[in-house]
Amino acid sequence: MVLTDRVKRRHLIGVTAGGALSATALGGCGLFSDDPEPAPAPDALQPVLDEALALAAAYDRAVLAEPGLAKRLTPLAADHRTHAAELSRVIGRAAPSGAPASSAPSGAAADSVAALRKAEQAAQKTAAAACRTAPADRAGLTGSIAAARAAHAEALR
Amino acid sequence: MSAQLAAALAAEEAAIYAYGVLGVKLTGEGDRTEARAAEAVHRGRRDVLVSRLSALKASTAPAPAGYELPFDVTDRASALKLAIQVEDGVAQAWRAVLPATTGADRATGLNALVDAAVRATRWRRLGEVTPATMAWPGRA
Repeated sequence: MVLTDRVKRRHLIGVTAGGALSATALGGCGLFSDDPEPAPAPDALQPVLDEALALAAAYDRAVLAEPGLAKRLTPLAADHRTHAAELSRVIGRAAPSGAPASSAPSGAAADSVAALRKAEQAAQKTAAAACRTAPADRAGLTGSIAAARAAHAEALR
Repeated sequence: MSAQLAAALAAEEAAIYAYGVLGVKLTGEGDRTEARAAEAVHRGRRDVLVSRLSALKASTAPAPAGYELPFDVTDRASALKLAIQVEDGVAQAWRAVLPATTGADRATGLNALVDAAVRATRWRRLGEVTPATMAWPGRA
């Protein structure tokens, strides 16, 4: 058991030290030396997903700082988490854990409602731009996310 | 694309009719200003759709003279409820336009979807309906 644990630990350390299993690291094994695979281009929806997660976390911080805002802000955070889950599914990568900020302390200070509103407006532009150039099967998804973000900004007026 | 645009036109026609009915039941000046602005926007979108469909040589059914409302509009509360339903319906019609279009038509549809979602939220706020937002505006 002790041996197994140590092997596991070393394996884990190895992965961490190697960083994100880069093509270079794999190339070192000789497996891919003939055909070095470039890192896959980020999905066009990745910025939309990143903003959904950042906004959800920003709402969590604001509620932690001012619990009186919970009733108003919690549904908005939930909308962003719903978006993030769907975007992750469509992008085809594992959904990041949507843990609330309370369990994952963050150094960032809580935003004011006015700042959250500005962030929603900026995020709406990202989603709208994604919608305008999206293939047909992603047009409705990105369009609804743009609309939801605009509606959030309206709700925060 | 024409079928989705024709459905959006039908939704806009219904919205114009509904605002005519519900507008008179609103009480505050803020409510009424908002309803007038909304009706003007829906009339503008209807006109854009009529000319776009005409350019596409698509036939459109004439707007019905009247509509059966989902419930009686008797007071401010039922007027606000109808306004919310109308904007949600308009959002659904325009969302269906997005996958069927590209370029300028897609942008028109997106703007209309966003606008309807914002108006629905504004009516919910005025009617103190919570939550005032939904995760997927326009998704039926």
